[in-house]
Amino acid sequence: MNERERRDFDAGLREEVDCWLRGDTSRRTFLTRLVLMGGAAMVPGFGYTAGNAWADVVDLSKVGLADKSTPLGQAQDAAVKASTEAPTEGSAYRAVQAAQKYKGATINMTYEAGLQALEPKNFSGPLWQALTGMNYNVVELPHPDQYSKPIAEHIANSGAYDILDIEPAWIPALANGGVIVPIDDYVSKYMNQADLDDYHPLYKSITLYKGKRWGVFDDGDMFSLYYRKDIFGDPKLQAAYQAKFGKALEVPKTWDEYSQVAQFITDQLAPNVYGSAHFRKFGSPGNQFSFLQQFRANGGKFFDADMKAQLTGPAGVTTLEQMIAQNKASIPGNNDLDAVAQWAAWLQGKVAMIFSWPPTGRISSNYAQRDKAINFIPQSTIVDKVGYATMPGDNGEMASGYVKALAAGSNNEEAAYLYMQWNTAPPLSLVRTMLPYTLRDPYRLSTYKSSEYRALWPSANEYLSHLCDAANTGVVDMIMPGWQDYALSLDRMCTAVWGGQDPKAALATAAAEWDSTTQRLGVDVQKAAYEQFQKLPGSYADHTIDKLGQSVHVE
Amino acid sequence: MLDPISVTDLATSGPLPPPARWKGGGAVSAWVDQHFKWLMVAPAVLLILALSIYPLLFSLWVNFVNYDFEIPGHDFVGLQNFRQMVNDPLAWSSLLTTILLSLAVVAIEFLLGLGLALAMVRMFRGRGIILSILIIPLFISPVIVGQSWALFLQRPFGPADYLLSQLLGHPVNISWVGEVPWVYIAIVIADVWQWTPFMFVVLLAGLAAIPAHLYEAAELDGISGLRVLFYVTLPQLAPIIFLAVTFRLLDAVKLFDVIFMLTGGGPGTATYTTSFYLYQIGFQQFHLSAATAGSWLFLILLSVVIMVLVRRLLRAENA
Repeated sequence: MNERERRDFDAGLREEVDCWLRGDTSRRTFLTRLVLMGGAAMVPGFGYTAGNAWADVVDLSKVGLADKSTPLGQAQDAAVKASTEAPTEGSAYRAVQAAQKYKGATINMTYEAGLQALEPKNFSGPLWQALTGMNYNVVELPHPDQYSKPIAEHIANSGAYDILDIEPAWIPALANGGVIVPIDDYVSKYMNQADLDDYHPLYKSITLYKGKRWGVFDDGDMFSLYYRKDIFGDPKLQAAYQAKFGKALEVPKTWDEYSQVAQFITDQLAPNVYGSAHFRKFGSPGNQFSFLQQFRANGGKFFDADMKAQLTGPAGVTTLEQMIAQNKASIPGNNDLDAVAQWAAWLQGKVAMIFSWPPTGRISSNYAQRDKAINFIPQSTIVDKVGYATMPGDNGEMASGYVKALAAGSNNEEAAYLYMQWNTAPPLSLVRTMLPYTLRDPYRLSTYKSSEYRALWPSANEYLSHLCDAANTGVVDMIMPGWQDYALSLDRMCTAVWGGQDPKAALATAAAEWDSTTQRLGVDVQKAAYEQFQKLPGSYADHTIDKLGQSVHVE
Repeated sequence: MLDPISVTDLATSGPLPPPARWKGGGAVSAWVDQHFKWLMVAPAVLLILALSIYPLLFSLWVNFVNYDFEIPGHDFVGLQNFRQMVNDPLAWSSLLTTILLSLAVVAIEFLLGLGLALAMVRMFRGRGIILSILIIPLFISPVIVGQSWALFLQRPFGPADYLLSQLLGHPVNISWVGEVPWVYIAIVIADVWQWTPFMFVVLLAGLAAIPAHLYEAAELDGISGLRVLFYVTLPQLAPIIFLAVTFRLLDAVKLFDVIFMLTGGGPGTATYTTSFYLYQIGFQQFHLSAATAGSWLFLILLSVVIMVLVRRLLRAENA
């Protein structure tokens, strides 16, 4: 088992395996590089620029690189060149140049344990080390601990972390608590404005809070509807649906249609195929995300003018009733599924529709499973049968996402920022969202347009265009102080209903908990935060990028 | 033959005054001799002070201030943290769940443990192997136990429903970790599976210690079967039973690991025990002052229970 295989094997484990990766570049190697750079620059007709020569001598042996003849290999090659050669005004190049003075420093970054952490371990961490001589340490944490551990370390004033991988919705709480620091000064000093403008408009302002930028966005987690084209195109089913409902069997556009179509397919095809599957296990964020997107698609508002929770209104009741109908129309065990179990059911061809995060498109085409790191996921039995659609109700949730934020108390603040900038710069972002095992999803306009990405599988073209469109009408999580508490209440509410509690009673309990959270944090403080949230693109169905006239379409 | 050396010779044979530096060494040595006992206990005392007393005093302070990381500052808030706990319906429902689950699991574990102990008290072929197998769950981490039962029970991949379907001859589709009352049954099963061996081992030791002549006397008197159990075995075993039940109760009220792994406190908050509730608000939501106040209240409550049980235990021992 080679090192890469060993790391892949250990991906699901929490212990750190990257001591091997921490080997520092020796002084001799550094001097050799400098000489080569200088020498190459002085020799005309050498075939490379100075930067090229440098790129050529960078030790990439520890970096997981694809064959250069593949689209991924080409994107990786371009990323290395963008970091070492040109464009010199690019954020990647600037970051690498500025980071040379931090050679030997170590940056500690939190990452979600398992698959998420493979990317910095296999690709961007070793590459950054090769480019800058800086060391890196990936601290793997379960998702909830990505919130709680940095807080604990902050309270202990340990300086344990430099870069925090966090949900955008955590920004207000962590910023108010002094756990993260704004990056505006670094952005104006080092980042190319064009690279900032390369973000899809939905993601561009998502890291802003109280007028400051608290991190760089790094994961376009748009929910989309994935459906089986073969099932929806089946003539017998179409005829039966037409006979039963007096209309054509189509991909649902509303949440009521979604339940109806799912139930119809279950009635017709179960136990071979069920209408849908959802990840609605306790603690699995599917409950809160499902509720939030449908609640807003149903016209719901979170709070009134006095900051009283509005969950118990008609939108809340309708949403829970719709979700109950969805559960009923779904695969047995629906309420016990987590996201991976839902994917397993989908890939095995057991369900006709799911809504989930963008990796669904990659694993449906078997693109992801070609990598050993992710080959524990079942092979897709539905390759070339999958269609992509905007969510019913039109407002898919930008469910979680990730932001790289600077930890307060970091011993290497600027070095850490430079890593963040380089890591999310367009050429690097492209590669990191293209890696077969990655769970990072496209968020840059340049990625949506990338010819390399579009060559990954036959319908990647359609996939990328769809992700861009989905972000136009997408809604974001409730980016406010206290989000953890508000979200926990929603999860409890949903699982209580799945467990048999009356929906109205569960809504009332959740609303009371929301009010309690608001009171605890201060009504006026929360009111100000809510006003700010409402100004964010994607805060509500009537305030999406599309409604604001900022839609972006890529062909 | 050498001449014997007299004491006077020794005194005058040569000067042996300690060098100046020895004077200090002697003083240190004397001081060490004088305080040796304190030096020996000092590391332990320092450890206790650092790891127990300081956190305890710190937590006392946290009880009365704001220590919520989202709210800046540590203002004095009086009894507000305690009030927040007392007024939280979830705190009460968690306490009730804790009490009911603790009583249920300890009662079942006692009955099963007693049954097993009675069955195993006599020698038979293979007894040693069976004993070893029976106590294996005791050595497994409760977190692993919770995860294992989750893997076994959770739909759609857990085999529990499939096995039941095969046994009963019709499809079974139970949400063991998502629906009441199944979720309680699942917790009880997991806990009983792990801790029945504890009851079994303790009660077996107690049974083995009952003098044989009591049974012989009973036999001579023509008493047998259940009457021996109720009039000889159980009265003799009573102090051990009380000890085992007390130990298990004190442990059961801390029920956390299995809940954490198996149900996450759900559905809703149906399986929130006090420990899980305090963990949730303390280390997931980071309302540390409220969690600390809740922990102190729980500690005081537990102390009362412990005091009653220990007194009862001592009385039983004295009797």
